[in-house]
Amino acid sequence: MDLLNIFVKWAFVENMVLAYFLGMCSYLAVSKTVKTAFGLGLAVIFVLAITAPVNYLIRQYVLVEGALSWIHPSLATVDLTFLQLIIFIAVIASMVQLVEMIIEKASPALYNSLGIFLPLITVNCSILGGSLFMVQKEYNLIESSVFGVGAGFGFFLAIIAIAAIREKIRYSHVPAPLRGLGIAFIITGLMGIAFMSFMGIKL
Amino acid sequence: MSKLAKKLEEYGKSIKDKKVLHTVFDGFFTFLFAPKSVTSGQGVHIRDGMDLKRTMVHVVLALQFCLLFGMYNIGHQHYAAFGMYPGVFDAFFTKFFYGLFQLLPIIVVAHVVGLGIEFFFAAKKGHAIEEGFLVTGMLIPLIMPPAIPLWMVAVATAFAVILGKEAFGGTGMNILNIALLTRVFIFFAYPTDISGDVCWVSYDYNLLHDIFGLSTASAGFANVVDGFSGATPLALAAKGGWEAVVANFSVSDMFWGWIPGSVGEMSKPAVLLGAGMLIAMGVASWRIMLSMVLGAAFMGAILNAFATDPTSFIAVPFYYHFVMGSFFFAMAFMATDPVTASQTNTGKLIYGFMIGVIGIIVRVLNPAYPEGWMLAILFMNVFAPLIDHYIYQANIKRRLARNHG
Repeated sequence: MDLLNIFVKWAFVENMVLAYFLGMCSYLAVSKTVKTAFGLGLAVIFVLAITAPVNYLIRQYVLVEGALSWIHPSLATVDLTFLQLIIFIAVIASMVQLVEMIIEKASPALYNSLGIFLPLITVNCSILGGSLFMVQKEYNLIESSVFGVGAGFGFFLAIIAIAAIREKIRYSHVPAPLRGLGIAFIITGLMGIAFMSFMGIKL
Repeated sequence: MSKLAKKLEEYGKSIKDKKVLHTVFDGFFTFLFAPKSVTSGQGVHIRDGMDLKRTMVHVVLALQFCLLFGMYNIGHQHYAAFGMYPGVFDAFFTKFFYGLFQLLPIIVVAHVVGLGIEFFFAAKKGHAIEEGFLVTGMLIPLIMPPAIPLWMVAVATAFAVILGKEAFGGTGMNILNIALLTRVFIFFAYPTDISGDVCWVSYDYNLLHDIFGLSTASAGFANVVDGFSGATPLALAAKGGWEAVVANFSVSDMFWGWIPGSVGEMSKPAVLLGAGMLIAMGVASWRIMLSMVLGAAFMGAILNAFATDPTSFIAVPFYYHFVMGSFFFAMAFMATDPVTASQTNTGKLIYGFMIGVIGIIVRVLNPAYPEGWMLAILFMNVFAPLIDHYIYQANIKRRLARNHG
């Protein structure tokens, strides 16, 4: 029940995009069609689901104070937490590289339409934010895996929903100054209101 | 009548070059008279007087039952709070006029603000005025608590119409239901005025007391009677389950609507009459309504199966979920909004079903909110284009397979 709670919480209640407004760059740039948004959403789920538990393990067995004592007892006082950000980014970058290779092999069309935004997942703040939230909330290994999948699923839902809306409003007479990103920001805000329906839910 | 119409038409032509004046004139003219510009016998166009305005007027007509009942119920609850006229039909006209004077300002404010913004944008764009606001303006008062401050109605209506509709290009382009956006704005911005136990009954004196000198006559009931809380059945159910509800309200009271709550949503017969009218006239989709009922019953039954403690909200039998709160009102008038709902037939079934499921989840499992339909419908409005997208894709795939298979 706790795990389901974590999943629902990060997919709906504390949605990375609509509650924390993290990862806006790729969210706004790749949401013009549902097809590419779907691909990017899956990539983000994959990367988040891998990086959160991997970063947990690295933090737990390398970075925190006394973590290195499994190598030699004399290392028990070493505290490498200051390396946390760099290590996290390095793990994320390598994971994104992996995803990029998979997508290029599996679906060249999607690879081309995602373009530069695929490697840019590396600096997508929702991924790094995911790892940092995992630290902040003190999740254990299983919890952080579920958290990664949940947060990724939340991003996926948000990006395909806004992509469908943006496809639909392509034929609307949106006032000229708001066309493009302006209306996308307004839609994001309205979606944030709609996602508040799950705020406070506890299973 | 036709003479008048002709004269007005000539007047309309004479002011064609004055932009603002002509938009306003055109708006009122096509509202009062059926437009003459119909397509001729040739061609495949629709030859019917049914335009957007007539569709809107049908919905407004269907809302009148709720409106009239809502007015009366405001008065009934007001006097019940002070222990006067306990019978449902005692002092019929006093109650009705009390409700009328309580509700009329809300209706006027919603219309003046909403239509004013609409007129302004239409004139700016040089378009004809789109009467999309007529239904919204009638729905807004019906989903407000009876004692809502008027400035809140004005601010929220302005927010919803400008950001929810005009930013997207006007009537028919919005992605979220405007009336619900108005309510949700108040709900998150001024929560104390639209949730809790106090706001659902109007305790104030209003115009009626001043005009007819009733304020002197009502000096005797300055105090609310003991034991009257003004809590809605849903608030009671959240605290003590079904037993707490029936301890305060009988099922027939809840069905007929003699309970505190938002103005228009209480009386199930009035709402169902309006819903029947909409279905009969082909304005609203029966698919959405039917699937929404199924979705709510399905989720309610699942929660019942998991219930262990009979006094918890989860244990409230699923068929009683329909008589509490605003399920039918949301189903008939909110979920079926043709603009924000799914456009495809299969999509409508999925859309309605998901609203039913999510609405019950929010209502029962979310302690932060007493009622779920407003947020469930907004949530599914966001996903309606996505549902449509995948149904289009599936159709395209099926046809390709059929033709090239």
